[in-house]
Amino acid sequence: MTRTISLGLRAALWLVMSLCIWGAFFYAWSDPAFIGQSSRILFFHVPMAWTSFVAYFAAAIWSARYLWGGRQMRHDRAAAAAVECGVLFGVLATITGSLWARIEWGAFWNWDPRQTSIVVVLLFYGAYLALRSAMADAEIRARISSVYALIALVVTPFFYFIVPRITDSLHPQPVINADRKIDVDPRMFHVLIASALTYTVLFIWIHNLRTRTQSLVDAREDDPS
Amino acid sequence: MELGGLGWIFAVNLIIWTGLFVFLLRIERRIAGLEAGGKGR
Amino acid sequence: MKDWRCELRSRYALNAIGLFAVTTLVVTSAALGPAGTNKSLAINVLPAMLWLILLFAAAAGLPRAFVHEEESHTAIALRLASPPSALFVGKLVFGVTLLLAIEALIAPLYLAVMSLEVSSPGLLVVALVSGGYGLAAGSVLIAALASQARGKSTLFSVLAFPVLMPLLLLAIELTRNAVAGDVAGPALPQLLLYDGSVTIAGLMLFPAVWNP
Repeated sequence: MTRTISLGLRAALWLVMSLCIWGAFFYAWSDPAFIGQSSRILFFHVPMAWTSFVAYFAAAIWSARYLWGGRQMRHDRAAAAAVECGVLFGVLATITGSLWARIEWGAFWNWDPRQTSIVVVLLFYGAYLALRSAMADAEIRARISSVYALIALVVTPFFYFIVPRITDSLHPQPVINADRKIDVDPRMFHVLIASALTYTVLFIWIHNLRTRTQSLVDAREDDPS
Repeated sequence: MELGGLGWIFAVNLIIWTGLFVFLLRIERRIAGLEAGGKGR
Repeated sequence: MKDWRCELRSRYALNAIGLFAVTTLVVTSAALGPAGTNKSLAINVLPAMLWLILLFAAAAGLPRAFVHEEESHTAIALRLASPPSALFVGKLVFGVTLLLAIEALIAPLYLAVMSLEVSSPGLLVVALVSGGYGLAAGSVLIAALASQARGKSTLFSVLAFPVLMPLLLLAIELTRNAVAGDVAGPALPQLLLYDGSVTIAGLMLFPAVWNP
């Protein structure tokens, strides 16, 4: 019974994501302000960036739960897996962004403030993973890396909100502006929202698989029989 | 179908996504097998 | 007791990183010459160079504060003797004092050898103090983390760079405004926001770093 439900959920995910892809090319129209059809990358690039943000935030929450919620290793595993997913989606967002920049701005990379920000945030979480691999003791590793993941809550807002504003950015405005007005064509908005939600569900699935794998690995290390 | 046209790109995207989906499903089945106490590979 | 030990260590550290900073300064100066006479270099390049020198000095000196504790096994005694937040404040005061001392040494020297004229010296002092505070606070917090991964001293720079990056960008911006004689602009409140949030994060997170 549960197996049928879980398979049904996965089939639904496949269908909805396929619909999002269809919508990105045939339901939404291409924004004439950008070269050719290049605006359609929005439906992939923005959800990726959004999902990496969700993943980093989830990692911070699990880290806080580890530190102040009874020091359970499963919270630490969840935090680490979320960072890995965040880096994965962050790298994909960087690549798609840079492809778009090649078409729209003429170069893959030109240190636009948004590009700087995403790279430094990736470096931050790369450092998190380096920190984890530098510590052999599981307790110390969990404690120290949780603290580092929480420092991100202090530092990364500067990249998301402040750095792109001190220097002029050519990056298109965020879809939902400061004055909370939705500033895109309704059809583009539908696909974008659906796509962001679907990517988030995909993240939850991948994260779940990663956490389960890691707990199998940890269990085997504790009891190598 | 026109090479590089919208339909073509849609097809490529769909194939990539389906491949990823099947890949994840297989991983999940293997994890479930290991969790149930199987040997796995 | 603690004051005396701190004194001793800070004199050792001050000598070492003071010399390190002067060396970096000499290299930069030899490479660039009196670059301050060139208006565009003075505004676009020199403030960034100054902060890079200070970053190097901080990265060379501040990790020692904790690595030393772990190496000489005074860490356990300190854990017993004082609450973690007091210890963090102690380390923070040590780090900030050290860095401000370095700045007091380096900044006038830098202005002199680069023939850099600062249009608003008051703002430069504000930038040095608020930026130096954030640089020290961030470094001390990261040093506490890095000291737990024993024998991996290179980790400090990897961990510290992304954390200190917004601070450096804001401090460079503010220094640039000071050199050009502009108003402080939004960089000053943002820098103070960074200083405040790093301090609060340190106070909240340090107990978790320090207590097993």
